[in-house]
Amino acid sequence: MSELPPATEVLLEEGPDDRALGRDPFEESLAPDPLFERLDAIEGRLVPKPRRAPEPLPAPIRPRAPRRSLPRRSRPAVPALAEIELPEPSGWLDRLLGDDARRVLAALNHLVEGDGPYDRFGFSPDVTRATFPIAHALYRGYFRVKSDGHAHLPSAGPVVLASNHAGLLPFDAAMTIVDVALHTDPPRLPRAVVDRWAGSLPWVNIFYARLGQIIGTRENFTDLLDDGQLVLVFPEGMEGVRKTVAQRYRLQPFRVGFVEHALRARAPIVPMAVIGSDDQTPILYDLKPLARRLGLPVAPITPTFPWLGPLGLLPYPVSYRIVYGEPLDFHERFGPEGADDARLVRYLSNQVRRAVQLLLDRNR
Amino acid sequence: MARVMVTHADEPIGRRVVKTLYHDDRVHGILAVGQGPPPRSFDRFLAGSDPRVEYARVDLAKHRPMSDLFHSSRFRSAEIDTIVYVPRHGATAADSAPILAGLAERTAETRLLMQHCLEAQGVSNLVALGSAFVYRLPPGNVNRLDEHSELDLDPDVPPEIRSWIDCDMILHGEVHNDRLRVVLLRVPTVVASGGYVYLNPALSGARGRQLRALGFDPICALVSEKDVAHAVRAAIHARTSGVYNIAGREAVPLSVLSRWIGRATTPIPDPLIPLASSVARMLGVKVAGGTRAPHLRYGFTLDTRRAERDLGFLPVDRIGLARAGDGSYRIETVSVVHA
Repeated sequence: MSELPPATEVLLEEGPDDRALGRDPFEESLAPDPLFERLDAIEGRLVPKPRRAPEPLPAPIRPRAPRRSLPRRSRPAVPALAEIELPEPSGWLDRLLGDDARRVLAALNHLVEGDGPYDRFGFSPDVTRATFPIAHALYRGYFRVKSDGHAHLPSAGPVVLASNHAGLLPFDAAMTIVDVALHTDPPRLPRAVVDRWAGSLPWVNIFYARLGQIIGTRENFTDLLDDGQLVLVFPEGMEGVRKTVAQRYRLQPFRVGFVEHALRARAPIVPMAVIGSDDQTPILYDLKPLARRLGLPVAPITPTFPWLGPLGLLPYPVSYRIVYGEPLDFHERFGPEGADDARLVRYLSNQVRRAVQLLLDRNR
Repeated sequence: MARVMVTHADEPIGRRVVKTLYHDDRVHGILAVGQGPPPRSFDRFLAGSDPRVEYARVDLAKHRPMSDLFHSSRFRSAEIDTIVYVPRHGATAADSAPILAGLAERTAETRLLMQHCLEAQGVSNLVALGSAFVYRLPPGNVNRLDEHSELDLDPDVPPEIRSWIDCDMILHGEVHNDRLRVVLLRVPTVVASGGYVYLNPALSGARGRQLRALGFDPICALVSEKDVAHAVRAAIHARTSGVYNIAGREAVPLSVLSRWIGRATTPIPDPLIPLASSVARMLGVKVAGGTRAPHLRYGFTLDTRRAERDLGFLPVDRIGLARAGDGSYRIETVSVVHA
């Protein structure tokens, strides 16, 4: 064994802390473990300290103004029929209309503010004037509409008209619009809420908008009621259209949004029933899987469709009966804040459904 | 007394804003900023020994020029306390949303401007113009929209609209800032006399054949550039912050608006629009609106009652077709004094 050089000997003599050979890993260290030092520090921090009272928040630079209600819009003032000067008929279709109907159309011109051709929902009096004679002919001659209870329709202010819905094509809506326009003074144009699907159909979306119909969004609904207009809703939605022969005149579950909006806008809800629309295109069977695949709300089989092609969708010449019920003034009892109570809104929606079902049962 | 900096003052809406503020006695000084040379119409504003308007050329989408502007002695001496952010809008459709460092130019600009406004001690107000095309459009020829309506966060929206949405969200995020008052004005299609249309993704940009979806004719809400400038002025002086819809009284279908501005339109079945657009470009035909964006099918009008309540904004201009001196018909804006 060779001897260690002198320098190394010196180092060995210095004890366990010599740096040349390093620390003995098995030797128990007397120095405190840094891990426990750290743990102690953490525990020290974890000791709850007495709480100080929180410092008051600095005052905002600009105190926020309290919420103010939106300014009321100037409502379109439709004159009474007696104030309307009877316009000259502009064509042979116009000549088919009676004086009263032409007066109504002249009055509806006032729904558009200013001299613009459209209102803010795309309603065009010109298009309405052009199509009204056809709708009027259907009203008088094809569906032979009889109606009752017009006294229940408020002559002014926001109103929600809640109706049953049936028939593949919305002739029930068209006949209701004609009926309300002809039997109110000053004339009121019901703004029917249509399904979003209809809004995505080429040409149909334009046609509906020009006749004053709207897509059922929160903003559209609220805006029209704020404007003091009469909004026609079909709370059954597409479920009403899908009803088969076996479900005729049996209302499907109602949606609730219209009650909420009516409460907020302090608008009465007038229940109404259209008798006849359930018979206009009796659906024998709804091919739901096919409808889903084609992206359609309904794929019906009727006695005439699809056997006669698109002609098979046309309604049979059934007679319509339209009955308006007494207005339900929920807003007077529950106020606009009632709209925030989901259970109450659901309950009131069921009350409207019951009222419409009663009208249907009594007048069939 | 406000001291205002107006961005993109060399573009049409920016020019109009500067002109309107120039005639406002409560605006003490204006620093107009643009990428190009000062417009000729500014000559009379810039003339004189101590003009109320100064003009600076700055590329707002780049960090260094923007930083130089905010730290310049000119900016400090002008004691600017209000920034009016008019985004770039006069560019052609192809250049309307160029990408800079992964962001659309408009988004990069907005982000940088917001950052500098928050850092600059003297700046206490930011009034920004946004687009009303940021809203999600439900199906339908017309949809009424208010400030609470949902934004279109669909990842498939066209890049042009995406950049507007990004800007909107950047600005919206600071609306409740206690030090900086942020007012965001969402404007629809802006119309200027002479047949010019801005901020409509379907119509602004390159002149050429306009594609539109067959069977759809969405209603376009309109506002005149003068009313936009009035709204900016109202927002500067109002002591409030928030998001506001700004629109005029008129709303017309897209086909009518196209006709008014002398743009030929070609209806194409909606699913075929991208294909038709590609083919047309291959054939060297300029086309606009070559995407299946919702605004080509569905329209909207805006509820401006919040702006009326908080800013005192009421549109004063009527927009319509007028006969020009050469006998042709052009879109014009006419101010109407309300009783």
